[in-house]
Amino acid sequence: MGNKQNKVTPEQQKYQQLQKKHELKRPVLKNCIKAFLVGGLICLIGQAVSYFYIYYFNFTEQTSGNPTVATMVFFSMLLTGFGVYDHIAQFAGAGSAVPVTGFGNAIISAAIEHRTEGFVLGVGGNMFKLAGSVILFGVFSAFVVALIKTLLVMWGVL
Amino acid sequence: MVKNLKKLYWQISTTVFMVFFLAGCGADNGNGSNNALLNATNPKPLNIAAKGKDNAETIKKDVSSMPEIYDVAVIEGKKDTLIAYKVKHMQRFRMKTIEKKLNKRLEKKYPKENFTVSSDYKIFLEAVRLKERIHKKGLPKDKAEKELQKIIKLQMEMT
Amino acid sequence: MLKGHQTWVFQNRPVIASTGVSGGPFEANSRLANDFDVLHEDLWMGQDSYEKAHRVLMEEALEKALEKGGLQKEKVQFLLAGDLINQITPSSMAARTMQIPYFGLFGACSTSMEGLALSSFIIDNAGADYILTGAGSHNSAVEKQFRYPTEYGGQKPPTAQWTVTGAGAALITKNDGTFKNPVTTSATIGKVVDMGLTDPFNMGGAMAPAAADTIQAHFRDMQIEPNYYDLIVTGDLGKIGQEATYEVLTKSGLQIDREKFQDCGLLLYKEDQPVQAGGSGAGCSATVLYGHLLNRMRNGEFKRILVVATGALLSPLTFQQKESIPCIAHAVSIEMQGEKG
Repeated sequence: MGNKQNKVTPEQQKYQQLQKKHELKRPVLKNCIKAFLVGGLICLIGQAVSYFYIYYFNFTEQTSGNPTVATMVFFSMLLTGFGVYDHIAQFAGAGSAVPVTGFGNAIISAAIEHRTEGFVLGVGGNMFKLAGSVILFGVFSAFVVALIKTLLVMWGVL
Repeated sequence: MVKNLKKLYWQISTTVFMVFFLAGCGADNGNGSNNALLNATNPKPLNIAAKGKDNAETIKKDVSSMPEIYDVAVIEGKKDTLIAYKVKHMQRFRMKTIEKKLNKRLEKKYPKENFTVSSDYKIFLEAVRLKERIHKKGLPKDKAEKELQKIIKLQMEMT
Repeated sequence: MLKGHQTWVFQNRPVIASTGVSGGPFEANSRLANDFDVLHEDLWMGQDSYEKAHRVLMEEALEKALEKGGLQKEKVQFLLAGDLINQITPSSMAARTMQIPYFGLFGACSTSMEGLALSSFIIDNAGADYILTGAGSHNSAVEKQFRYPTEYGGQKPPTAQWTVTGAGAALITKNDGTFKNPVTTSATIGKVVDMGLTDPFNMGGAMAPAAADTIQAHFRDMQIEPNYYDLIVTGDLGKIGQEATYEVLTKSGLQIDREKFQDCGLLLYKEDQPVQAGGSGAGCSATVLYGHLLNRMRNGEFKRILVVATGALLSPLTFQQKESIPCIAHAVSIEMQGEKG
């Protein structure tokens, strides 16, 4: 948007100001509170699942992370498939998008959506349409951080 | 239909919440292993070493004297001593520092002992469970030693 | 006949002989559910993809219009239809089913009025006896193409609009004076207006200047006052766009009664339906005009209305490439016969 600013004609600018007046603002504070509550609730469920694995299976706090994430993604898969997750998300916003359930939802919703184009070109090709960039930049930034740490250790800073 | 959906997801979320909430509270109260994850259990130190050394009691006192720590389980085996502890809620941000401090302190005081120190709830839980099995089911000492080694091995696991 | 700069006057007054309107489950719960001819309980409409469901909607609207007009489809010379999906395939495939010579139109959400204006012009100039025109949209198919997957949990801002699942079609024919039906009297073709807005979740705000431009042009070309019409209705501007249009018009000196200035996207849904700023999509103006508004005209509630359908001519590609949203609006004036102005 910023690069556009210099090309705006006075007429456009005038209208944009007029339009701004009527534009409904996102209720940021309300959204934040909702996101906090729903996000917290999801994390609470995650913690309960994690304790479940610690208590009944041979997982430590350290190792229970993986099965917990898998379970949470499974839950969000069910909710997405039943068509409930997008309604929760409209209410919760970032609260349901940031936890791993949001990641699961991004993958599964794309897979469901493109099922009609077949398994290979549809589901396979489009599944990571939304989540692909999360994976790419997640892995890449992890690589960069690890590289920096390695270099710092090598130079004896850390 | 949309209205129903709205209702439905509230129902789903409240049920999910309630199930976990009740499951958490439903466990019988008391100081047994059932509650070791949530409450302070304060288990008595345990010595399953065949030989005469018995530092478990003092080790426990030592560890408990650290202000950040509130619940300690000590099991002294033949070679290894397992110390599982819980860190006070707000101090959990400094988990690593506390562990370092504890290690240093123990090494200084008991240079001969071989310690396995863990703040992991699972290790604590298993320690309490092992103690219970020894006391209630009369697990023989050599088997108890084996179980202890199992816990120590579990503690080493990273993923 | 051309009048002024960009307005056609239809001297022979082509008749909207019959209309057909189909809708989906969300529309079945809407305020105007009674004005739909066909309503589906299932978003899939018994098909295995949303695009096919979209085609079914189009076909049903077209067939209903023919059925109500009591006409065989062989008698119809041309079909003018369009929608929002890539390469307007649902319309083209409906045309394949109908086997009527076909013009595919794309004017985004303004397609309905583009089709009505062109059909009226062809009929007016004796280019055909019967023409079918229609437009439609399917919420899930459009969301899939323009936004995110249907089930994806992304929070929509309050400026977003809900794409209507529905299609509206009208049968336009020559005026032989016997019909007691609405007629089209003039049409103003709009130019593309771009005020540099880039937010695809605020289409109403982007389309408002186009609507204002076309309305101004209409009154300038026709040399009439806004109170000539009982109702001026915009296609799918939603809350924000409608307010903005009204303010632009008022500032330019065009005084319109606030109650006489309505929006199809706001008329359609109930207050408690979660549509944010209102309905949108090619099916929005088509279903509301061909269903609800024409019914009210036949009941004598309105004598003359001006329908201004607005369209945002963007594609997912252009807004990702940071292009601003170009918009267009076409206006068609519809009057009840026998009420000579």
